[in-house]
Amino acid sequence: MQEKSPTKSQDKSVGKDQSFNSFGFLPARIKRTIGENSKVKSFYLEYSGTLPRPGQFFMVWLPGFEEVPMSLSDAGDGFVRISVSNEGPTTAELHRLRKGDRVFLRGPFGNGFSLDESPLLLVGGGYGSAPLIYAAKMVSSSGGRCTYLVGARCKEELLFVDEARGMGIKSIVATEDGSEGYRGLVTDLIKSELKKGRYQAVLTCGPEQMMYEVVRQGVKQGIKVQASLERYMKCGFGICGSCVLDPLGLRVCSDGPVFDGSLLLKTDFGKRKREASGAQVKLC
Amino acid sequence: MLKIKLGKIKMRNPLMLASGILCNGSLLKRAATEGGAGAVVTKSLTKEVREGYHTPVVVGVEGGLINAVGLANPGYKAYLAEDLPLAKKGRAPVIVSVAGRNVEEFEEISVAAAEAGADAVELNLSCPHVNKHGMEIGADPATVAKIVEGVREALEIPVYVKLGLSDRFTESAVSAQDAGADAVVAINTVKAMAIDVEARKPVLANIYGGLSGPAIHPIALRCVFELYQKLSIPIIGCGGVSDWRTALDFLMAGASAVQVGSTLAVKGIGIFREIEAGIKNYLVRNQFRSVEEVIGIAHR
Repeated sequence: MQEKSPTKSQDKSVGKDQSFNSFGFLPARIKRTIGENSKVKSFYLEYSGTLPRPGQFFMVWLPGFEEVPMSLSDAGDGFVRISVSNEGPTTAELHRLRKGDRVFLRGPFGNGFSLDESPLLLVGGGYGSAPLIYAAKMVSSSGGRCTYLVGARCKEELLFVDEARGMGIKSIVATEDGSEGYRGLVTDLIKSELKKGRYQAVLTCGPEQMMYEVVRQGVKQGIKVQASLERYMKCGFGICGSCVLDPLGLRVCSDGPVFDGSLLLKTDFGKRKREASGAQVKLC
Repeated sequence: MLKIKLGKIKMRNPLMLASGILCNGSLLKRAATEGGAGAVVTKSLTKEVREGYHTPVVVGVEGGLINAVGLANPGYKAYLAEDLPLAKKGRAPVIVSVAGRNVEEFEEISVAAAEAGADAVELNLSCPHVNKHGMEIGADPATVAKIVEGVREALEIPVYVKLGLSDRFTESAVSAQDAGADAVVAINTVKAMAIDVEARKPVLANIYGGLSGPAIHPIALRCVFELYQKLSIPIIGCGGVSDWRTALDFLMAGASAVQVGSTLAVKGIGIFREIEAGIKNYLVRNQFRSVEEVIGIAHR
């Protein structure tokens, strides 16, 4: 037998000591809801499991509708918070739920952000800022420093700016219509913000084209970027392959959703994605 | 020591990635290179694009998973053009799983797979959750014969037939052999369902799905054991392999190779190397020179 010595598997997926039962659903009662803006509503859900890390996600199922992956925008003693953007039938129905209603959860899944470095630049766009505000809370509560750079179409669609400021976190805002802060895209501000030079790492979550630009700028300036990706998912725990990044075969659900930016640049990140059938389509 | 020959196909170990797990080309490559699989099987390819069912499409239960993905795939043309080349970079044999609705579709997809470089085809005659693509084909020995004959005549590469539990399971397997199949894969997932008592509803959007994982292993083992007494062609065991023991008992029951699937959810892509090491250890400890010596040993 001429086998090479077994190389250690690169499969760093979390939860590999789980039983099959852990891929079943658990009900979670809604404790409180808050409208964040015209499109996004936050739900505080009863939760008694181990505290999930920022960047980890749950599969959230509404019986009679579909299940959708949701990053946490906060978590703490006895609760997790999801912030749901009204995008389709399932999320529209979620928006109709009230205190006392239940949703069903599987998870938490995925790896989450590494928060070891300080100061951090957090770059968010749209509802992508959800895991970043949770990261910001963890960073500031453990004595680290970060800056929250967030973009939206207009003032009304900005997310978690007051929450960040309430925690004493410096926030920089960009709106496309100029209704608050800088007029333009967050990506216009990245270069100058990074040039100020103090950041040890960048965390980003939002539209893929925005993250692609953030990663490019970070890598160019030699700063590590962690990007949290969103892709179509069927299972959420690494067996169906729907959320794969080609050609490296990285699964967003279990090898990610947080990836090192320089690794992402070796994949179809920012260029192509797969649809429900597995067909590859261009990102637009 | 673990090398095997399955007809024309040479494998560095008898462990295959089962169909429908990881699915896409670059992940099949990873299963072979990083995971150490001896061969990989693609997701089942159909003639048309299929998005699959609404979610939830999979749920964990005691002892396994129930899935009703609904044969999601981008259609055989797109998959063979974009994913198969990536899968082949893993340098382990790539077996293309084929799901047709009739003889003509099975032939068309199989021929295209062979032309695109598949090392073998696995005819999925037993999907438990898609009408016209499933169980009703494999449960009818006459239909099995018709499809296998058609594909066999049109192809040079090996033709495997994947069967599921049905009343006429053994008859269908014999019928596949008589029609020229090169191996039988036993078994597919077993039709099942899950109800969430809090939601008071079936969990899967499709209601019914297929049960896989440790829960079905003893059933699959019995099927392989029975087939070994009836068939002269190789058998590939599939169902609930989760460690070296459950792979080895399949071999002892008469399987020439085994497929591994659901257990990747709990043990990760590296499970193939773990099983390989366990089997090798057993062989050395018991003074076997080759894994081929244990195939069917439980019958002797």
